[in-house]
Amino acid sequence: MTVLLKLSGVDKFYGPVNKGVHAVQNINMDVMKGEIIALLGSSGCGKTSTLRMIAGFEETSRGTITLAGREVQALPPVRRNVAMAFEGYSLYPTVTVGENIAFALKAARLPTAEVEAKVREVTEMLEITDILDRYPTSVSGGQQQRASLARALIRDADLHLLDEPMGQLEPQLRTLLRGRIKHYIKERGLTAILVTHDQTEANALADRIAVMEGGVLQQFATPQTIKEAPANLFTGTFVGEPPMNVFAAEASDRDGQLQLDLGDGLHLTYAADAFAPDVRATLLARKQIMLGVRPYAVHRDTHGARAQVIANQWLGDQSHIAATFAQGTIVLVEHDRADVAVGDAIHVRLAPEDLHVFDKDTGTALSHGAQMA
Amino acid sequence: MTLALEKIVKAFKKDVVLDGVSLSVGRGETLVLFGPSGAGKTVLLRLIAGVIEPDAGTIMIKGRDMEGVEPEDRGIGMAFQNFALFPHMDATENIAAPLTARNMNKTAITETVGKIARMLKIDHVLHHKPKELSNGQKQRTALARALAGEPDILLLDDPLRNVDAKLRFEMRLELPRLLKDQNATVIYVTQDYKEAMALGDRIAVMNARGIEQTGTPEEIYLTPANIEIARLFGDPVINLLDVSPVQVEGGVFITLSGVPVNIDAGYSDMVGRDCIIGIRPEAIRFVEEGSAEAIPLTIEAETPLNEKTVTLGLTQNGREIMVSRPAGTPGPSQGTGYIVIDANHIHLFDRATGKRIVPVKTQAAGSQGVAP
Amino acid sequence: MNTISPFETVLRGIAITLVILFFMFPIFWIVLMSFQTNATILQVPPSIFFEPTLQNYRGLITGQLVTDTSSLEIRFMSNLFNSLFLSTASVAVGLMLGVPAAYAFARLKFRGSEDIAFTLLSFRFAPPLLVLLPLTIYFQQLGLANTYGGLIWVYQLIVLPLILWIVRGYFEDIPADIEYAYRIAGHRWWTTFRKIALPLAGPGIAAAALLAFIFAWNNFVFALVLASADKQPVTVGALAFITASGVQYGQIAAGIILSIAPTFALALYAQRYLVEGLSLGAVKG
Repeated sequence: MTVLLKLSGVDKFYGPVNKGVHAVQNINMDVMKGEIIALLGSSGCGKTSTLRMIAGFEETSRGTITLAGREVQALPPVRRNVAMAFEGYSLYPTVTVGENIAFALKAARLPTAEVEAKVREVTEMLEITDILDRYPTSVSGGQQQRASLARALIRDADLHLLDEPMGQLEPQLRTLLRGRIKHYIKERGLTAILVTHDQTEANALADRIAVMEGGVLQQFATPQTIKEAPANLFTGTFVGEPPMNVFAAEASDRDGQLQLDLGDGLHLTYAADAFAPDVRATLLARKQIMLGVRPYAVHRDTHGARAQVIANQWLGDQSHIAATFAQGTIVLVEHDRADVAVGDAIHVRLAPEDLHVFDKDTGTALSHGAQMA
Repeated sequence: MTLALEKIVKAFKKDVVLDGVSLSVGRGETLVLFGPSGAGKTVLLRLIAGVIEPDAGTIMIKGRDMEGVEPEDRGIGMAFQNFALFPHMDATENIAAPLTARNMNKTAITETVGKIARMLKIDHVLHHKPKELSNGQKQRTALARALAGEPDILLLDDPLRNVDAKLRFEMRLELPRLLKDQNATVIYVTQDYKEAMALGDRIAVMNARGIEQTGTPEEIYLTPANIEIARLFGDPVINLLDVSPVQVEGGVFITLSGVPVNIDAGYSDMVGRDCIIGIRPEAIRFVEEGSAEAIPLTIEAETPLNEKTVTLGLTQNGREIMVSRPAGTPGPSQGTGYIVIDANHIHLFDRATGKRIVPVKTQAAGSQGVAP
Repeated sequence: MNTISPFETVLRGIAITLVILFFMFPIFWIVLMSFQTNATILQVPPSIFFEPTLQNYRGLITGQLVTDTSSLEIRFMSNLFNSLFLSTASVAVGLMLGVPAAYAFARLKFRGSEDIAFTLLSFRFAPPLLVLLPLTIYFQQLGLANTYGGLIWVYQLIVLPLILWIVRGYFEDIPADIEYAYRIAGHRWWTTFRKIALPLAGPGIAAAALLAFIFAWNNFVFALVLASADKQPVTVGALAFITASGVQYGQIAAGIILSIAPTFALALYAQRYLVEGLSLGAVKG
């Protein structure tokens, strides 16, 4: 695996350097060849600015961007050899969808037969073969978005940048197309960076996710790692649907057992050896902590802590149960239909290996399960 | 019946949006109107609210014909998709609108608004104008305004459409309790099948042709009336494959990748006919190679989806199949996988009409037919 | 890319100055003229250095126009009052009739509503002289000629279409859902009109009123034909400055300054409000 794209100390200021709005702060990131990377965050987190700096539409205020062995931050977009799908589709309105998709290939003077074969392949994958002769304004938003995606994916570029590529897709197609696009990218060994605010999309497509907030890269890791070991409270609650349950807790030593007081008279008690010694020591030293547990990791158990059901929603393949717990609400995900009714008392168990502990003030992760973060 | 619609017709110029829609909703019931945009859901709500008039048909609220009854006299509360807050009034004045209409005195208004605002957790922003509110707060203010007058009928027009995913999830869990506390009859419009299943006592599935199926979430999900409805519920979408059932000794079979799959014997009437089989992605399991009736699948891609893992695979004939399993459970991520299909969760549709075939009960007598 | 270089700032400054100079020069020159005697105005070459005099203003305000050869009585101040009264009253009547009508055209789509609205607007297309001749005859028969009432009525030809079309646009920009929401909350349509539609269209109504005021103020032909000396506005009264002994440039300039002062002040005052109104246009959402 070779590093294809390297961001070193990349900053973006809107306005004068060091004085203007510091939209992207000291990003360092290596992207391997053949990887799919998601830049994930809410609006204004700096993800789009970062993408646009890589594409060259935005000046890099500080730092270097190395792509395929060349420093590109000072190059104009056309000389960086990147393909991009824009959030606003940006299809050329005066030519047909098909001509839009083939545009870059024709400009590169590829033989017509080859262009046609490539167009057919990518448009069959995205199910837009029937609209190739239509003009962009006469097709739906979802179709325009797919055409824009096709125009980017068909190109032979060092790097493919996809800005919110699937936001407008028809819900019935979304999951299927995610699978096909992932397969398409992987099969050809393309390297792609997608920007999205939708954690579901990032999880579905990306090999690694870069979570951004406030212009700062919060965590850059595989979906699995982000799920199991979120770097901080922000990452933990932003990634994952339903979101992670979070409670304020106070840790104390009760006759050798570790007790977590969640308020409202609710205590969780764990055996002395439930946590590794260093985790246990940290918890007792900090006392006031934030406790996180993923909804799928909350299990019903007759010996668990009491909670009262306020909603049990069956979605066909999952049940989402919400129950009043401590001073807030706890959410459980079960994969079968749960036979509990609103108002029922249930008992939930939070296993030590499923607990994420965060610093109360900074939100930095202290431990995941039995291990230190 | 708190609300009964009888053969409602509504056209805008030449464009017939509703053509004979009938619907009834009982007291305290939450009915979800679900369907793609353009199906006329919002038009139906507006007709009930009285801001537009039907071309034909009757609307009865608590047994009273609403023809000629002004919107302000119908005892209705409504929350709009775009919130429709009064931009020149602060949150308090917005929420108080149904109360000022009744000339309620100031202290009573303050008290009522305060109570609702606390319930919806917006009591700290009551003096803010709409433009100073976040999207979530706007949405809650709009909801509070709809609830403030304690209406008999509550119309909610896709109220969670314009809020972010996290808030939408939170409100989805919170809303049912809120609505039950109000004891109002609720009509809830949405395009999100999860919202429909989570909130509806009953769901009316609507498309351009009108209401296609009405039933509990279970009925809609487990016995969809046609292919279109089956496709609208569930994520990933239901797998649909062209098949033609065959009768072999021992039962009715379909063939996938050369492997015969035994389906309900009640489908015997469909033997030799052109059908489409619908298999929900969660009704397919990965098994070890060499298991009985295992169908080989070439794995194309694996895409995690909200605590599930979705695998896209190809059958030997190149047909796409999506498989969904709980996250963390084993399954192949590349190469060839082997699947078995839960025959109890198979739907058979008539390829010509798209209607679901109801299997004939093999034990009891019963006639074969299509779902209502 | 996002920062502006000093060079660019200077260039922009120069460009803006040029534009301002081009547009402001006539006004600037008029202001200078109003403080000069006819003699200094007409000297060649003209000079911006002169001994300022208030005699033009004095003449206008006292009504005694003193020229080189003669002295002449003019009624500039009463003309000014006429202008003020006619414009204000016309706009007031126009608003009373036009705002509800605009609301009706915006919200109620009845048969022929579009045609009626367009017909009203088309009054603005017709040359005023075309309607003026028959009107003069009618007015004389009805006894409306040379009355304030008659003039205000005729001024509706100018004011009403303007108010109707501008305000209608503002009403249409208010999402109907906002009004529906108020109705559903239990309020009558009249209350909804007063509490929701009027305040939200307020900036638009103000803009329309201002524009209508300026148009009414600047009207010449209607008043010329239908008003005698005691009802004349400044636009017609200014004709008096063209005397047998020559054109009184100094007084004309002073007259212009005095007559544009009210509209100018109004526009300046309303500017803040209008801009706010445009940004408040974001009522959606």
